[in-house]
Amino acid sequence: MDLFPLWLSLRVSLAATALTLVVGIPVAWLLARKPFPGRDLLEALTVFPLVLPPTVLGYYLLVVIGGQGPIGRLLAAVGFELAFTWRAAVLAAAIGSIALLIKSAQAGFETVDQRLEQAARTLGRSEWSIFWAVTLPLAWRSVLAGTVLAFCRAMGEFGITLMVAGSIPGKTQTLPLAIYDQVQANQMGEANVLALIAVGVVAMLLFGLSRLMRLRY
Amino acid sequence: MVSLSITKRLPGFTLDVSWEADDPVVGLFGPSGAGKTLTLQCLAGLVRPDRGRIALNGRVFFDSATGVDLPPQARRLGYVFQGYALFPHLTVEGNVAFGLRSRPREERIERTRMVLDRLGLAGLERRYPGELSGGQQQRAALGRALAVDPDLLLLDEPLSALDAPLRRQLREELGRIIREWGKATVLVTHDLAEAYQLADRIVVYESGQVLQAAPKSELLWQPTSERVARLIGVRNLLRGTVLKATLEIIQLRWRGQTLEAVNSPSRLFLPPPGTSLPFFVRPEYVRLIRKDRPGLDPGHHMNVMEGEVVGELDQGTTWTLLFRVNAPGALSRDSYDLEIEIPKLVYEILEVARDRWWQISIHRGSIQVLPSE
Repeated sequence: MDLFPLWLSLRVSLAATALTLVVGIPVAWLLARKPFPGRDLLEALTVFPLVLPPTVLGYYLLVVIGGQGPIGRLLAAVGFELAFTWRAAVLAAAIGSIALLIKSAQAGFETVDQRLEQAARTLGRSEWSIFWAVTLPLAWRSVLAGTVLAFCRAMGEFGITLMVAGSIPGKTQTLPLAIYDQVQANQMGEANVLALIAVGVVAMLLFGLSRLMRLRY
Repeated sequence: MVSLSITKRLPGFTLDVSWEADDPVVGLFGPSGAGKTLTLQCLAGLVRPDRGRIALNGRVFFDSATGVDLPPQARRLGYVFQGYALFPHLTVEGNVAFGLRSRPREERIERTRMVLDRLGLAGLERRYPGELSGGQQQRAALGRALAVDPDLLLLDEPLSALDAPLRRQLREELGRIIREWGKATVLVTHDLAEAYQLADRIVVYESGQVLQAAPKSELLWQPTSERVARLIGVRNLLRGTVLKATLEIIQLRWRGQTLEAVNSPSRLFLPPPGTSLPFFVRPEYVRLIRKDRPGLDPGHHMNVMEGEVVGELDQGTTWTLLFRVNAPGALSRDSYDLEIEIPKLVYEILEVARDRWWQISIHRGSIQVLPSE
């Protein structure tokens, strides 16, 4: 039994979640705290990946990062290959899951009493320091919940991944793609094992999350 | 020395205030929605005024003319928020030490220790704000603000979160702490008793404007307008017609009586005869003339009038009598003209419960005439 798709999915999902956090937290904070021109547009944009068909997203992503796409050509010029590599799967998983993190974290930041941040300001702390010492510690539940949801969603990413990373066994074939492949090949036993593993991983994560949520701060 | 002159437009509300104070404690007093908290936020740099200038001891915080606008971090103020806004995820110690992060570790620990000890928070270091009583929360919030050694302490409704009995006790404690630390303070409150007890100078706010700024006793005895008199809860706020005004006295016609009042020496106020003027008499300063002592003493009894007690309110140790002057014409209230307050003991000795007809007198120094608006 080949467990490569499981390891790949875990690796891709971890990397995608990290990417999601780095991009999503600042966006969520901006949406929750700063009025700026184009704010509504950005907010609408963050929901796009949730509501568009994954294949449509995947298609446009491929247009951009593929061999003929603007970014694809730019990357090719510096010798970096993105389309149809595991890195493309990371990008696909991140795009598919980032909305979950942003929405959850934004809601979390919005519930933090702004007077606490103001109090921190009058006490001389910088905005950066306030985020780490006040905002994030008070919104950690929502951020963590968003992170776990984003990770689970990344584990299950199918459509975008298929479009931009393909389903190359031993290279870009993640767990959901492998299951699909095995069903297509009528290897129901192996599909069954992988599906159970997928359910197990997600169930464990969600269970762990609900335990963590009982902690105070 | 706080000096502030700012304008700030919000939807449906405009703050346009200007005041200066060199007193240890300044109280911003007024009804809610008058702009007191907004003023505090502008002082602290949390809200940016549209126009104006804010300075503390010559240090300019904000000046729209020169484009100065110090961020809150650079103003060195200690802001105690309404409801305290303690960090719920930090212990008392963490809260108090919060503003000391940039100091060397040793100083941080020492200063936190000192603040906790002085505010009686020793032993509570490891508690979270949710585990503290109202009074402890107040002290923790004060400690957090005082720990950074601010140039000015800002208190926004420091006692409004508390129940009445605790409130009085903590008011005294708060006054003691402010005096002990010797910090210049600006205090926001909608409770006159609170402002009067804690502040040296009171700035009266209404609808985004300052109506009067004065030392507290001056405010209480010489409000400059009917609006201020109403806000500070003056009870016998009446209206009369000027008969004669000199630099010493003002004669007023009221309810068929001729009243003589001392003209305020500080105001040089000479309204022409016929002017309708508001004036007030504190209920405690109206005297019942004893019937068992014959004859009126002209040096003692002034502005004498006769009437009937038509109602009374038992206030416990004092009684409030509702008095109707025996004269034709419209009453100054629904069913009476004046409120008179006397100690319960006097009420009993004079048998007011049985005897309802009285002559009263009001000393001319007890009639405060207000400028007409």
